Amino acid sequence: MLVASLKTASLLLQAQTRSLAHLDSVDVLVIAIYFAIVIFIGFYLKGSSNTSEEFFMAGREMTAWIAGLSFVSANLGSLELMGWAGSAYQYGILATHWYWIGAIPAMLFLGIVMMPFYYISKVNSVPGYLHLRFGDGARALSAVSFAFMTILMSGVNMYSMALVMKVVLGWNLNFSIWVSSITVAAYVALGGLKSAIYNEVLQFVLIWVGAALVPILGLIEVGGWHNLSTQITTNLHRGDYVHLWSTLGHFKDNPMGVQWPGIVFGLGFVISFGYWTTDFLVVQRVLAADNIRSARMAPIIGAAFKMMTPFIVILPGLLALSVLPFHLVGEAQAVATHQHSYNEVLPLMLVRYCGPGLLGMGVTALIAGFMSGMAGNVSAFSTVWTYDIYGAFINKKATDKHYVAMGRWCTLIGVFISILTAYLVQHAASIMDYVQALFSFFIAPLFGTVILGMLWKRATKAGGFYGLLAGTVTSISLWIWVQRDPSALKYVALSPDANIGMAENIYRALWAWSVCVLVTVIVSYATQPRPVKELEGLVYGVSPLPEEHDDHWWQKPIVWASAVGAIFIVLNIIFW
Amino acid sequence: MQGRETMSIWFFCGVMLLAYGAIICITGLWELSHPLLNLPALSGLHAPIWWGGALAVAGLGYTVKFFPRRYRG
Repeated sequence: MLVASLKTASLLLQAQTRSLAHLDSVDVLVIAIYFAIVIFIGFYLKGSSNTSEEFFMAGREMTAWIAGLSFVSANLGSLELMGWAGSAYQYGILATHWYWIGAIPAMLFLGIVMMPFYYISKVNSVPGYLHLRFGDGARALSAVSFAFMTILMSGVNMYSMALVMKVVLGWNLNFSIWVSSITVAAYVALGGLKSAIYNEVLQFVLIWVGAALVPILGLIEVGGWHNLSTQITTNLHRGDYVHLWSTLGHFKDNPMGVQWPGIVFGLGFVISFGYWTTDFLVVQRVLAADNIRSARMAPIIGAAFKMMTPFIVILPGLLALSVLPFHLVGEAQAVATHQHSYNEVLPLMLVRYCGPGLLGMGVTALIAGFMSGMAGNVSAFSTVWTYDIYGAFINKKATDKHYVAMGRWCTLIGVFISILTAYLVQHAASIMDYVQALFSFFIAPLFGTVILGMLWKRATKAGGFYGLLAGTVTSISLWIWVQRDPSALKYVALSPDANIGMAENIYRALWAWSVCVLVTVIVSYATQPRPVKELEGLVYGVSPLPEEHDDHWWQKPIVWASAVGAIFIVLNIIFW
Repeated sequence: MQGRETMSIWFFCGVMLLAYGAIICITGLWELSHPLLNLPALSGLHAPIWWGGALAVAGLGYTVKFFPRRYRG
């Protein structure tokens, strides 16, 4: 999902010729108010970010609602919104799979099964859990790859924001990069994770109030969902744009060129579970919860809101198929013919329905999304660097005050490296594609390692390390193979009809995870297991989980997870 | 000892919604007497007035409910 949405920015690079909208003075006022609130929050929270626990883990005092909204908001960047709205225009309702089956089951699994182990082990990061379960080798591998990729991703995110602001509003690239970087550096370095979380919640509210008017007015204009689906089918002369599952029997039967096993096992299982349960950028938000019940409820609350997100992302893309008086085209064609591209669909719909004031709020939502994405990356980088690299391998005996200072400096240095990356990407756009690919190499195998570590007590240190290494090497090798010979995709995706892009990512993740699990199991059986006593609090079935005392049955996390799960199933049936 | 509670994130959300709602609603009312040259689609529904109004009411509610109270320690 992240990879696909970042592709949007890469494509927008070629189309920076004209602006879609012009801001009024009232719009500028709306944007200025947002920046003022964000900076104020950073200064206000500085006083409560003095210890490492406060700076890196927000004092572990976030309620379930704050942790849950921050958890889902860390993923809800503007590239995500614009990229998937464009995908909805291009591929129809199939894009919803990335919000439903590609997120909801994994988020519920995190809350119900995995969160207790992350939480009761009192680790500060996912590499921290790997350290306790599999030792220093697995920790070092995951920490270094995560820190490296996170900071590069922050730069890509920053550049993408500047690019979108240039395309949408005609703003200067340097202005956007420096203003947003200085703001993010200020509020994260001052207030740490708590400041990042506060801003993510604020951004979540902003995105909803800024974007929800588009689908509301759009549905009024077309006369409801039934009319919309009829109009799309009539306009496009095909019925596969408004069905979620019925066209997934074969690669050729749907506009995306995917098949149901890839969606269910590749996207719904490996990619989704890998991202939502092991990517520290999102998991860090839940680790900041104030107790184990909040930590379990946070992903469930996040899942409920994630399930609603297609309303403000996918629906505008579908509405554009019906209401826009012109056709959007691919990026290459847009550059050649000066038409609008798929990726501009959300700003175009915003401009269509929003006048002064409302437009400013919509643009502020986009800016907030980008800044929040940067802040999330930088705060996660700062934590992993300080705890899992600097504190674990370079300076193990420093004082708490020293680690906090290191975290603040890391934030500033991280933002500085991000700026350098942003300029590097500006002059060599292909770097962006490589950064995206590199990021995807680590997620799928990491999920294999973490899930075996939590559920299988026989998994050994050597098994965990070599499994993670083998999975990562497999992912990189498959990527290189398809890059050098695109026809190799028929072997990777097990079909000659699969598309490069979506299908490639899905099946590469599936292979990487499978190899990771296989190697972990084989090496574990060949090596000495750890004594069960050492695994307490780390592995399912080895130690009792702490009791949660809910006053009523309906307060239990499993009840809420079941309710969200039931709505998820019903929605999939309705849009089958 | 006297002081104030810590400002909650919900208080910040309330202030932001109140400010945005008021600005957008007032802009919508202003546009009744000063129509825009380029009207957005469905401008006859006057979305800035009711959407801005709804945000202002919600924002006011959150601002008041989560306003940091004084305490005596």
